[in-house]
Order: sequence, then structure tokens, then C-alpha cells
Amino acid sequence: MTDASTTTPDLCPRCRSTTVQLRSTSPVAGVWTVYACSTCLYHWRSTEPDENTNPDAYPAAFRLDPTRIPDLAVVPIVPPLDTTPPAGASDSPTTST
Amino acid sequence: MPAFTDLREFLTLLEEQHQLLRVTEQVALEPDLGAAGSALTRVGENSPAVRFDDIAGYEHSSVVMNVHGSWANHALALGLPKEATPKEQFEAFVKGYLKYPGELQRVDTAPWQEVVVDKDINLFDLMPLCRLNRGDGGFFLDKPCVISRDPDDWDNDDLENVGVYRLQVKDRNRLGLQSVPQHDIAIQLAHAEARGQDLPIAIALGNEPLITLMGATPMLYDQLEYKMAGAMQGEPYRVTQTDRGLDVPWGSEYVLEGRILARQREVEGPFGEFPGYYSGCHLYPVIEIDRVLHRKDPIYDTVYVGRPWTELDYLQAMTTSAPIYAQLKNDFPEVQAVNALYTHGLVVVVSTKTRYGGFAKAIGMRLLTTTHGLGYASIVIVVDEDVDPFDLNQVMWAMSVKVNPDGDITIVPNLSVNLLSPAGQPPGISHKMIIDATTPKPPDVRGDYGEELDTPLTTDVWHTKLTAMIKEMRG
Repeated sequence: MTDASTTTPDLCPRCRSTTVQLRSTSPVAGVWTVYACSTCLYHWRSTEPDENTNPDAYPAAFRLDPTRIPDLAVVPIVPPLDTTPPAGASDSPTTST
Repeated sequence: MPAFTDLREFLTLLEEQHQLLRVTEQVALEPDLGAAGSALTRVGENSPAVRFDDIAGYEHSSVVMNVHGSWANHALALGLPKEATPKEQFEAFVKGYLKYPGELQRVDTAPWQEVVVDKDINLFDLMPLCRLNRGDGGFFLDKPCVISRDPDDWDNDDLENVGVYRLQVKDRNRLGLQSVPQHDIAIQLAHAEARGQDLPIAIALGNEPLITLMGATPMLYDQLEYKMAGAMQGEPYRVTQTDRGLDVPWGSEYVLEGRILARQREVEGPFGEFPGYYSGCHLYPVIEIDRVLHRKDPIYDTVYVGRPWTELDYLQAMTTSAPIYAQLKNDFPEVQAVNALYTHGLVVVVSTKTRYGGFAKAIGMRLLTTTHGLGYASIVIVVDEDVDPFDLNQVMWAMSVKVNPDGDITIVPNLSVNLLSPAGQPPGISHKMIIDATTPKPPDVRGDYGEELDTPLTTDVWHTKLTAMIKEMRG
């Protein structure tokens, strides 16, 4: 197995933004390269199949419109800033994991 | 229950028990690792763990998968014979669980301190990160123990938390954290974010099998997973602290030290999740890694997540059943066993004695209000005490002959359910159903139940005798 790609791609396969960065290369030189999109944070390896590396072959079901990213649900919500946090343990939550 | 010092000791046991397969040929990170993990879900209930020692692109790298991925491996993790039935494993798990609290033991040094990387951190170099399913948004750490404390009560060990949360690799030293408000770490993060402070965390990878099960168990907020592990194994659980005072399992392969960045959210996902569907994308918290420590020649442990059943379902099996049982049993001593094996307890089967007509429905309604039931438990099946809830042949028999839909089905509208349940409408809300599959008792006189078949007098004696003979015959 060898790394077919030598140049950083122009487009993110998932969101088609032009913000692709070379993230890392294989410790054994020339085997693979990992790229990442700084807009949608999608990562892929140069040796993966077309459906993960080629914007035109990327499955429609998994595409991401970069303009929609700010509208995604925020989980968990960011609490209001409290300049006088309570001392001691908080309200006795009963949840877990 | 034996105390395994580390993952390596458990892998040795698995190998001795013919429950670990070594693949010596070179494999690619994609699609080989995900495909092998998926294939192991098709080889039957006693599928082995698998170890790869030649990963394309690395001089030295080792990956194990499916470590908890069968009833045999799960039994061995609990110190039981690998032939132990799910019911026997439930009973052993509950026996240890009800002994809480055990103890933790702090020691100054640990093997994971052998190699320290504190500059130019590159997770892609340090561990064989890979995509498991084609629609995953990247590479994930999906079997970590994430350790954190409550910033409002930092020195309170009982509020320290060990949780298993998926972590998406966002950069060489940056991760995304999938956390929902019900998680303990979300409570701690909220306390830190209210102060505008980062939340220090440690991420332990490649652990002995018990602490991973504890991290996946929905315990109370003031119950410490290490103390539960100590109770389960009957001796103190050994940990070593990081510089920031976070307790980490002594035997971990990798330890990542970092911070959840205050008040930041970033796109995360999708990732193939436990219901058998992709999770979608959300804006989740972000982690920056400051330091990585690891053993020499570390072993990377990852779990394949696909349509159930996979290793993930074993991680969520008794760890889900036992806490529900403990809460139910506290209110209703009649309860015998709880099977919450199905998709993290979206379907639950409970066996119970019944005292009078309508009693089983009360058990079902109480189950819906247990801590875990609130967010999962969409369908509850209640069976009689002599039905093994882990034996679906018996459960289906009870459903066949003891359920009259006119009177035995109760639907409660618009209750809470996990956001990841695809049937929720809207997401997070679902009707829930209780199926009363117990024999009606007065004053409920519905049906025409005569004498139930029992077994001939010496059946148990013959069962023991014939089982031994069959084992001898098969070697």
C-alpha cells in the first residue's frame, strides 16, 4: 500500500470548502497522509476509498452545508457566567456515566 | 472477582482461554480495522478479541478490538468461567455492585509514565487512529475513560468521575467531546464554564476490563467508579494521580492530559452510534491536549460500533441492568432480575413476584422512573419470577400466553427519551409502553389459566449429569 496523493486537495469532500489542511503523514514515510477541513473538521486519509476522499463521490446523505454549521444544536448549553460560584457541592444531580 | 492489573494481563487470559485471535499480516487502518470489527459480530456469541500488530504506516503499533465483545469475554472479565450464562453474569455483577463502596489505592508511579510527550504532540503519530464506518466524520477515540472532578468541590473524591464518552480527533492535539446534559461530566463542565474556567481532564486509553465497565455504568453522581471497581473486585482499585490531581488507572496504556476549553463548542460527528444509526452533527465541547504519557509499545484498544449486536452492546449490558435492578429492588423486593441488554435499555425485561392484580404494571411504571429509565426504557416487559428475563425463548412464551392486549398493554404518552433514539417525536420525547406478561392474580381474574406444566421429579439431577456427559463427549 502506498500513498497516491502528493498534493493537498483543493476541496473538502464533505462540505466542499477550500479550507483543506495537511494534518499528518504516516510515521513510515509515504504510506498515507491525513487531511482535514478547518471549516467542518472532517478528516480523511489519502488511502481511503473515493467515497471518503473525492467530493464528487462523497455520499449525499453525509454531506454538510457549511452555512448550516452555526445552526447546529449546542450540546450541552453554555451556562451564564457566574462571578460568585457557590462553595461546596452543587445541587444533587442523579445522573451518571 | 479477580483484579486484573492491566489490559495486558487480561489479554493473556483471553489468549489462554482461546478468546484472543492474533492477526499477523499487515492491515490498513481503513477499511480493515472497521471491517474486521464488524465481521466479528457475525461469528457467534463467543467471538474472540482480535489483535493486530502490523498496521500500515507504523513501525510498531498494536490494536486490539472486541476485548469485551462476547459473553465469554465478558464472563472472563468478571472472573467467571467463560461458559457462564447471561443470568449468572447478571447475578455476579449485581452481587459486586451492591457492595459499594470499595476502596481506591493511590500509588506514586505507573507504567504509563514511561514515555512523556509534552511538545509537538501529534496523536496521529502516537496511536493508530482510524475511521470505523464510512459516514463517520473522522477518527474517534471510542473506548476512553475520561476522568474529571467537580470544580465546585475539587477535593471531594466521591464527585470525581470516570466516564466513557466518544472523542473525535479534531487536530494533532485537539479533540471533540460528545456529552449530553445527563452525563456527569456535563454537570462538572457547567460548573467550570459558569466560572469561565477550563475543566482539567485526563483520558485513559487501553485499560483492564473492569474500569471500562464501571465508566459505562450509570451510577449516582456522588458514586466514584474506582470505589465501585474496588467493591466489584473485592480489593482496592489501584490508581496513580496526574499532576493536576486526577486519578488514573495504574495499568492504562495511554494517558492524555488536557482541558475542556471553557465556553467553546465546535462541530462534531457524525459517528455510528449505539442505536445502529449515525448520530448527526452537533456543536459539542472541545478538548486541548497538553501532554501525552504512554507505556513503551502501547496497545490501542478500540470498539467497533455498528448495528447491534456489537462489542458496545456488551459494554452496555450488565452495566445498564444492574443499576436499574438496584433502584427497583430498593422499592420492590419482589423484583428478581432485570435484562436491559437491548440497545442500552431502550427495551427492558424485568422478572418479579407479584402480590396482587395490577402489581406488574406498578413495577413497569417504577422502572420508567428509574434514573436510566427516564432517558431510555421505551418498552418494558414484565414477566413472572420463574421466567428468566435473559432467556428470550422464555420471555416470548410468557408474551405468547400471558398477554391479552386488552388490559395488559399500558401506553404512557410523551415521556423523556435519549436524543439518540431515532423513534423520538420530537427527538427526546416518546410514548412508552408497559407489557404485563405476568399471570393475572386476583382481583384481576382475566383469562382461563389452569395448571402450568412443571418438570418431572429428578430433572435437575439429570440436567447436571447429562451436562457433564455432554461436555466429556465433546472434549
